Amino acid sequence: MTPPPDTEQTAAATEDGFDQVIHAPVRLRICAALDPVREIEFGSLLTLLGISKSALSKHISVLADAGYVEQRRAVRDTRQRVWLRLTDTGRSAYQGHVAALRRIIEGSRPS
Amino acid sequence: MVADMETHGPVSAAEASAALASVERSRARVAWAGYPAWYWLATAAGLAVLPVAMLLPAWLGVVGVAVVAVVLFRLIVAASRARGVCQGWTRSAMRWWEVAVLYGPAAVVMDVAAFLPPLAWWWSLVAAVLVFALFAGTGLTLSARIGRR
Repeated sequence: MTPPPDTEQTAAATEDGFDQVIHAPVRLRICAALDPVREIEFGSLLTLLGISKSALSKHISVLADAGYVEQRRAVRDTRQRVWLRLTDTGRSAYQGHVAALRRIIEGSRPS
Repeated sequence: MVADMETHGPVSAAEASAALASVERSRARVAWAGYPAWYWLATAAGLAVLPVAMLLPAWLGVVGVAVVAVVLFRLIVAASRARGVCQGWTRSAMRWWEVAVLYGPAAVVMDVAAFLPPLAWWWSLVAAVLVFALFAGTGLTLSARIGRR
């Protein structure tokens, strides 16, 4: 039986959902920006994150290689734009990672 | 450079907390940053038409509301293109309380204008001005403030 998406474990994630690919600070911010929306244009993500184009490209490549992010090219105003979106696997891995971070914080609180 | 940012080993509660804070900042920026000023002003103007529509004969009011709805829809699409952020129709980067802060005061004024017995013909105009000011003011302020973070 195929597990539901929210419990699917990816190769980079540990059993508790902590994902080393996503945990890198910039990649975490990329996933956080992509999670609540359908897709974001590369240039807009660049502005939102305030990092260099080459750094963003590298992090997107890592996320795309892990199957977490998909790229779509579209022409608008005669210019080619790249739109980025989280895949179902990426969204599930990101949400699992955020849940793992919350558990770390909750686990550190005195009972 | 990318390799330097890799994280390994156990993560402390402080690191996890900082990571979640950065997640929330990114979410808030996607929700609020990048909106052109014309979006807030035009949407506020569209919403402000609704209390005025009550002054019109019923059929004209219905037509007016339908036209405003189409204009608001096109504004959302145009702003989405201008921002380079497509939220889709089933997703929103805004939290429920942010939606309440943005639309709540204008909605309260519209409800009061609709359900209270009309005090005078100018009451709808006052309501329209209030709706415009509340929505445009909240949108412009929050968009600018969160965009600077």
